[in-house]
Amino acid sequence: MSTTDVAQTPPEVIAPTVEREHRGLLAEVWHNFKKNRLSLTGGVIVITFVVVAILAPLLAPYNPVVQWDAPPGEHHPLAPMSRSEEGKLFLLGSDKFGRDILSRALYGVRTLLQLAAISIAFALVLGILMGAVAGYNRGTWIDELIMRLVDIMLSFPTLVLAIALLGAFGIGKTEIGPIEVSNMLKIAIVIAVTYSPRFARVMRGVVLQEMSEDYVDAAKMAGGSGWQILTREILVNTIPPLIVQASLMTATTVLTSASLSFLGLGLQPPRPSLGIMLNEARDYLFLGAWWYPLVPGVFILLIILGFNLLGDGLRDSLDPRQARRTRV
Amino acid sequence: MSRQTSKTSTAQHPRSSTLQRKDKVSNSRLLEIRDLETRFYTENGVVHAVDGNSLHVEAGETLGIVGESGSGKTVTALSVMGLIENPGRIDRGSILLWGEDLLEKSQREMQGVRGCEVGMVFQDPMNSLNPTVTVGAQIDRVLRFHTSLSKEERQEAAVELLRQVEMPEPEKRVDNYPHQLSGGMRQRVLIAMAISCKPSLLILDEPTTALDVTIEAQIFELIDKLKAQFGMGIILITHDLAVVANSCDRVIVMYAGRIVEEAPVLKLYEDPLHPYTRGLLKSIPQLDAKGERRRLPSIPGEVPELIRLPSGCNFSPRCELVDEKCTHQDPPLIEVAEGRRVACWKV
Amino acid sequence: MGIYILKRLLLAVPTLVAASIIIFLLIHLAPGGPVRVMLGPMQDPALVEKLRHQLGLDLPLHQQYLRWAGKALQGDLGISVTIQRGAPVTELLRQRYGVTLQLAALSMVIALLIAIPTGITSALHQNKIADHLSRLVAMVGVSVPNFFLGIMLILVLGVFLKQPWATGGYVPPEEGLKENLIRMLLPAIALGTAYSAIVMRMLRSSMLDVMSQDYVRTAKAMGIGWGSTVRRDIVKNALIPVITVIGNSVGYLLGGSIVTETIFRMPGVGRLVITGVFRRDYPVIQGIVLSIVIIRIGINLVVDILYSIVDPRIRYGAEGE
Repeated sequence: MSTTDVAQTPPEVIAPTVEREHRGLLAEVWHNFKKNRLSLTGGVIVITFVVVAILAPLLAPYNPVVQWDAPPGEHHPLAPMSRSEEGKLFLLGSDKFGRDILSRALYGVRTLLQLAAISIAFALVLGILMGAVAGYNRGTWIDELIMRLVDIMLSFPTLVLAIALLGAFGIGKTEIGPIEVSNMLKIAIVIAVTYSPRFARVMRGVVLQEMSEDYVDAAKMAGGSGWQILTREILVNTIPPLIVQASLMTATTVLTSASLSFLGLGLQPPRPSLGIMLNEARDYLFLGAWWYPLVPGVFILLIILGFNLLGDGLRDSLDPRQARRTRV
Repeated sequence: MSRQTSKTSTAQHPRSSTLQRKDKVSNSRLLEIRDLETRFYTENGVVHAVDGNSLHVEAGETLGIVGESGSGKTVTALSVMGLIENPGRIDRGSILLWGEDLLEKSQREMQGVRGCEVGMVFQDPMNSLNPTVTVGAQIDRVLRFHTSLSKEERQEAAVELLRQVEMPEPEKRVDNYPHQLSGGMRQRVLIAMAISCKPSLLILDEPTTALDVTIEAQIFELIDKLKAQFGMGIILITHDLAVVANSCDRVIVMYAGRIVEEAPVLKLYEDPLHPYTRGLLKSIPQLDAKGERRRLPSIPGEVPELIRLPSGCNFSPRCELVDEKCTHQDPPLIEVAEGRRVACWKV
Repeated sequence: MGIYILKRLLLAVPTLVAASIIIFLLIHLAPGGPVRVMLGPMQDPALVEKLRHQLGLDLPLHQQYLRWAGKALQGDLGISVTIQRGAPVTELLRQRYGVTLQLAALSMVIALLIAIPTGITSALHQNKIADHLSRLVAMVGVSVPNFFLGIMLILVLGVFLKQPWATGGYVPPEEGLKENLIRMLLPAIALGTAYSAIVMRMLRSSMLDVMSQDYVRTAKAMGIGWGSTVRRDIVKNALIPVITVIGNSVGYLLGGSIVTETIFRMPGVGRLVITGVFRRDYPVIQGIVLSIVIIRIGINLVVDILYSIVDPRIRYGAEGE
């Protein structure tokens, strides 16, 4: 039975606390999560693509980088299910260099997820640090300084900031002093810097909220040694919202990475990249090579969709009021 | 019952109540509820919020409905108002206002009744007014829907209504936004809106629970004054027994969706029959003349989930007089004296 | 309310200054110094020195900044070094901002025309088919990369359906308003879809929040008709938080226009900044980023002011008892 017009029902009726076996928070979250079909779909999608990324070398029928296996000359993108002159079967077609689109796409997923993972990891670390420090020292100049910095960073649209930073650093491998930074790492750092302000905000918010809880006052009165346990308590409580944010941010970072690749500012050829494939495809649109943009595009779309569904679903499972409203 | 005439005459607006007071079914009471069953069909089970209750209210009297949260008192009021929405449903019963069954009316007709024939004021005034519309405009809208007064007349009426609810400086307050008013003032505005069409019945659901005690006294004085002025019947829902003693003529005690006792107010306090009522009264803090320190008695146990009601009498798990029969059979509500009903095997 | 606006303004200025410092420093991030990067393979030391002096790079850092900022305040954003040697950056921007702003505006209009009615209806018919469908579509809309959408639109409409106006390019309004607008349709759709989905979801969420508020219950209890309740109590209050989203998302539109202009080959500021990055034209990059940040901060300010006008709780502070 659909729960419509839940809004106006007296509270004690709408959420009778049915006695279940006492679940921990985690189990409760898992239970809610399982009930939400959309978030499950998201989870499935994400896991599928992660598996694909890991197994890409095994799954890809052909080496994605090797090109000129036919005499160099005009290579036209071939339609799906066609064969090259040597008899290679291109399940999803070939690209302008005669490479198998499927293989390239699979490896592309791999690089994209690798990049996303590194970026998010850095962004989380940076953001958590900033947010925690700011929240702990709320009201002091430290807090002000950090939050001002966050505001300033947020006044740049993310893509613009990433482009500006990449533009400054140059494309390809860079040398910062004696250290050679790989392109992927550089991009990851740029993206991390771009997105860490958002994590910082969330982290600070949660820290502040937890710190205003009664148990904090109680622990403070209990004495100094309580402080250690306290820190752990607070930090543990920050995990759920951070996970939600991480999932949603991953979706956005994937989008940004792909956009950067598309613009030619990201991973460089011949490295397989979904964004670059889309860019290459532009020249062959007039030939009607629909598979060229479709395959990488759909892959990117699905990855982003997966993380969005996952993030949304997690957010709903964590907030009971929200879950009530958006139950599928 | 004669209609009060004042500056604001409520001419019959097409959308307003179809209950012509002149044509009311003769000898009928203001409000008569019979065998009302309101249930909520939730994912976790069926909640019997109002479980076959009957009660009545006469014009000019105040009926108090007492009970803890979850007892079904609010749902009863919402049922009268026709505000029960999915997943709730009124499955059985009739609600007769001057003899006309409200449950037979269409949505449109009920809209005419709500806010016109029957007014309701809810518990927490802080959020009960639209924050982006002035107080005067909100009153104006109620008048617009239920009367055919002109714009100027409505504006005058709004100010007059605020004056009637003892709002200081009503001409200025009319243009205020809700956040510019205190809680007590907001509640007055809500009362003004509820009585704007001189309803026959006014339902107040814990109107002062969220307010200061001093304001509470003022609000109840105001309600008494309005009751005398308009001759309204009032249903006062509360969990505060002191309020009941002061303001009500008759009292109904509800527990877990059922009426367990009904009596005129003095009788209830003098001679409570149901164990639950007795427990409630015992738990009122007393100023002990001897200055003894006593532990405040409370009723052991907890209110049952409305989804999992105990077998037999709903109160049996907590009752000191419980026996075999109580846990197996539901005691019916029987009339034991004039105007007194009890649902208990041990009385 | 005046104080509120003043506070906002005072906050905006240091943010702008700080952002400009960051933008200024960009040019110095390039390893090896900006000049070497700009000159590329030609590393003739004399040339390097000359260029450094010309660009004022031999002055101490803070002096450089002040020079740059001072000039910027007067509308002088420097001179393009590689894209169009000698052309003032301001001039380049002026030629191209019209396109970008028109694209952003059109995208926003189309997006809101779809998002607002959908968000409202979705919330009012919560959990019915229309709601589930819109939410699904919105979900996909948020997840579609705008470059993918743009390319597919060109493919389907321009190549397969052979519509001439669907292949990109830009026609200035002076040369034909109809032509100008119709060529902008696809780019606007590509750019505005994600934005539309974001606004729709936000509005739906806001509507649901408002619908569970006590004052909606009051309206029902007073016998107010549903139509009036929806308009006055629900939608009116639900739109307020959405204003901030609409404003803040303009940044997204500006960023997204970079990609959209590239795909549809439109001579806007977005494409210019990419060219600038590839050709290492730092003054151009700086100028564009600075202008975008100014617009962003400006719009935030406008949104804040709008918010304070629309929400009486801010306009008239609480006066209490």
